[in-house]
Amino acid sequence: MDMSTDFSNEMLMDYFVSMFVVGVGVALIATGLFTSYFGAGKSQKIGFGLLFLGIAIIAFFMVGYPLEEDTLIEALVSGLAALAGMILGMFIILFVLMKVDTVDDLEDLDLEDLEDLDLDEELKKLEKELNAESNDSAEEEE
Amino acid sequence: MAETSDIAISMLMVGASLSMLLMGLLISYYGSSKTRNVGLIFLIVGAALIYYVTTMAYDTVVFMNSILAFVGGMIGGIVGIIIFLIAIIKS
Repeated sequence: MDMSTDFSNEMLMDYFVSMFVVGVGVALIATGLFTSYFGAGKSQKIGFGLLFLGIAIIAFFMVGYPLEEDTLIEALVSGLAALAGMILGMFIILFVLMKVDTVDDLEDLDLEDLEDLDLDEELKKLEKELNAESNDSAEEEE
Repeated sequence: MAETSDIAISMLMVGASLSMLLMGLLISYYGSSKTRNVGLIFLIVGAALIYYVTTMAYDTVVFMNSILAFVGGMIGGIVGIIIFLIAIIKS
């Protein structure tokens, strides 16, 4: 495949700028919806402002931007497909990482020692040590 | 003229390979001794996907247009979020 980067102005205006405008509009609508719903007072007003700005940008794009329908569909399909591909790739990565044992130190840990431990005996030993220490300190005070 | 399904499949592979290359790079650099190998595998899979997409029989101009549209949409989304952050911080 010839990967030359000799872009014409027409290509830039049809694909790059059109999807740039759509991206700004969608991001403003999404953030505006979020802020106007969860925000309070001043930030809620800013949220409404962002929402209306986003709607205005998308409306301008749909009504005033000179673009053929086929080109718009191609651009939207490419953007959405690439996004879907990125999400799919991330899911595959997370799935594989969760399936792979990622802890190094588990090999060093001797689990047989833990199984042989008698917790009651250990508790009694600790109680004896604590009692001995308290007796010593009481004798010192006397 | 390429079919819409060609564009969708090729851009799906481009997106998946991009995330695999970037995450593979991160994992193979910062990962532990076990995850490092997984990161290297992701790097190889991402590179293979990119190689397959660029070598498959497909209209070059349409592919580059699709890449332009994808990059434009991503940059537009980032600019939109920056506008939101500026509006919130300045208020």
